[in-house]
Amino acid sequence: MFGPTPIRDIGLVAGFELREMLRSRKALAILALYLLVAAFISYAFMDFLETAQASLRNPAALLGGDVRGPAAGRRGLVVAPSPPDKPSQGILTARGSPFNRVIFSRITDPASRDFLERQPPIMLFFAYTSFALIPLLIMITAAETLAQEHQSRGIRFVAMRTGRAEYALGKGLGQAGLLGAVTFLAGLLSLGIAAWKLSDFEWSAGLRSLVVFWPRLTVFGLPFLGMAMLCSMNTGSAMVARVAGLGGLAGLFVTHQLFQKYQESSLGPVLRVLDFLAPYSHQDNFWLPSWQDCGPEMLLLAGLAFGYVGVGLLFYRRRDL
Amino acid sequence: MSAPAPADAALSLRAVGKNYGRIRALDGLDLVVPRGSVFGLVGPNGAGKTTTFSIVCGWLRANRGEVDVLGEGAFDPARHRGRVTALPQDSALGRDMTVVEQLTHLGRLQGLGARETREEVERILALVDLTDRARDRVRTLSHGMLRRVGIGQAFLGDPELVLLDEPTNGLDPRQAHTIREFIAAQRGTRTIVVSSHNLHEIETVCDHVALIDRGRVVMAGPVSAVTGRDDEVRITLAEGPVPLTETRAALAGDTAEWDEADRVLTLRFQEKPGRAAEDVTGAALRALLAGGARVSSVARGQSLERTYLELPALPPEQKP
Repeated sequence: MFGPTPIRDIGLVAGFELREMLRSRKALAILALYLLVAAFISYAFMDFLETAQASLRNPAALLGGDVRGPAAGRRGLVVAPSPPDKPSQGILTARGSPFNRVIFSRITDPASRDFLERQPPIMLFFAYTSFALIPLLIMITAAETLAQEHQSRGIRFVAMRTGRAEYALGKGLGQAGLLGAVTFLAGLLSLGIAAWKLSDFEWSAGLRSLVVFWPRLTVFGLPFLGMAMLCSMNTGSAMVARVAGLGGLAGLFVTHQLFQKYQESSLGPVLRVLDFLAPYSHQDNFWLPSWQDCGPEMLLLAGLAFGYVGVGLLFYRRRDL
Repeated sequence: MSAPAPADAALSLRAVGKNYGRIRALDGLDLVVPRGSVFGLVGPNGAGKTTTFSIVCGWLRANRGEVDVLGEGAFDPARHRGRVTALPQDSALGRDMTVVEQLTHLGRLQGLGARETREEVERILALVDLTDRARDRVRTLSHGMLRRVGIGQAFLGDPELVLLDEPTNGLDPRQAHTIREFIAAQRGTRTIVVSSHNLHEIETVCDHVALIDRGRVVMAGPVSAVTGRDDEVRITLAEGPVPLTETRAALAGDTAEWDEADRVLTLRFQEKPGRAAEDVTGAALRALLAGGARVSSVARGQSLERTYLELPALPPEQKP
């Protein structure tokens, strides 16, 4: 299945894939889409923070009454005297604050709670939404990568020069590189918005947190990328690949939900196995504080990604191009 | 166990079959392409030419039969990359990269080093007359230019076997002529298989030919043998006397058939030492002219097109 120099070929294909995506502005479109969503959720988060801060000073606001602070200004309501210019994230992170109690109520492990309390809330918010967004983004954008070449038959130019496995893995590596870059830039954008809007934002803490969550988000996306590649390898058009990818994503999500609901039933053992193969079931471990805790899960998800690609290759090596 | 491929064969297919659902595209196709030849593959639409190419190149899997490429079994990029290349039909290169980037990528993938690839790409761009468009994106090229890029990539490096599917399709006459000259000049240095509907092109460029119909080879061999150039001379006469008896007497054992409708006298002979085609033709012409015949033209054999059209197995509606 492999040619004489698989690593070289995979690298060549990955580099060309990245350059081609940048040249086609596809990467920029993906980046713009992700950044737009990141900017939107960051703004939404800031709005929530402003309202929360105002409500702390004026509890009646929570019940729809008098509102003070910057949020009140926007609503044209009664404005409190000398409101702070910018909201503070301290109301969320301060231990004992009502928001802290609400946000971290489900986390019982003291080490995990301590770890999360030390992260800038904007980064937690960014990571939380990214866990939901990244799979969708991958299926929309990456599922077509090989299928499009099957459709145009452009694959025939390269299929005489390298093995199908090298080509598919190179394409996947290029997509993974794009995923990593886009995730990092979107995280930076969120931090930038936080720095602009918050009174007590610290860049150093934000960047440290980004370094913690960026690899986790990227690795979390890999199995979805593997599934997208599986679909792409074995379909003949970009549209079919995308639909198959989104269908697969829905299947993984439903499997995880079924397991959550019926794990104690007689179907529990079967669902447990299926759920193990779904990246969603490993998501919670990505919030654990140390690399020792979440590292094995990251390795497992990377293995799962290779598993999906491997299954795809079993069929891909035998199919007509 | 079937017999091994001939040692001097660049390509050998034995009893190859391919189905697309219920449609039988190849039906026990046998083909041997000699090394160093320029080989033409001719047939009507749907005869199986492109399917044959695709199986040889490893894009499609045969349902039955054996394929041997360069004496090393079926195509495998691990064994054949850089040694076997192809111009696929209706395949599109990525539109957003430049011509030079595409060619460089393909050259590197087939195992060339960075410097070697640079030199090869320059050579190929000059060959297909696209040096001035090297930095342009593929999407900006015309159909003919895209075809030339496709031909160019097939000659990157030093391939031993090149398969070209309709290479001059979409080229203007001057470009088509240049490409034909280039292909013909490769004879003896590498094996080239050309698939085309253009029978004149095949006859001009190729030294061997196979006629395919309904997934089978119906005739194959050197072009000179298939068209009768080795053993046949056709003399067309204008209105006037036809001294058949005197001519037949001058041929000393070789046959002469007269077609009254087309006014063509066909001489059939076996070349022997001391008696070449020119000797037979000279003897016949002397007898004809002495008998008062008016000679319009003399040709060795018949055109590939006529040979093709006279094949009994081909229904008229499928002929090109």
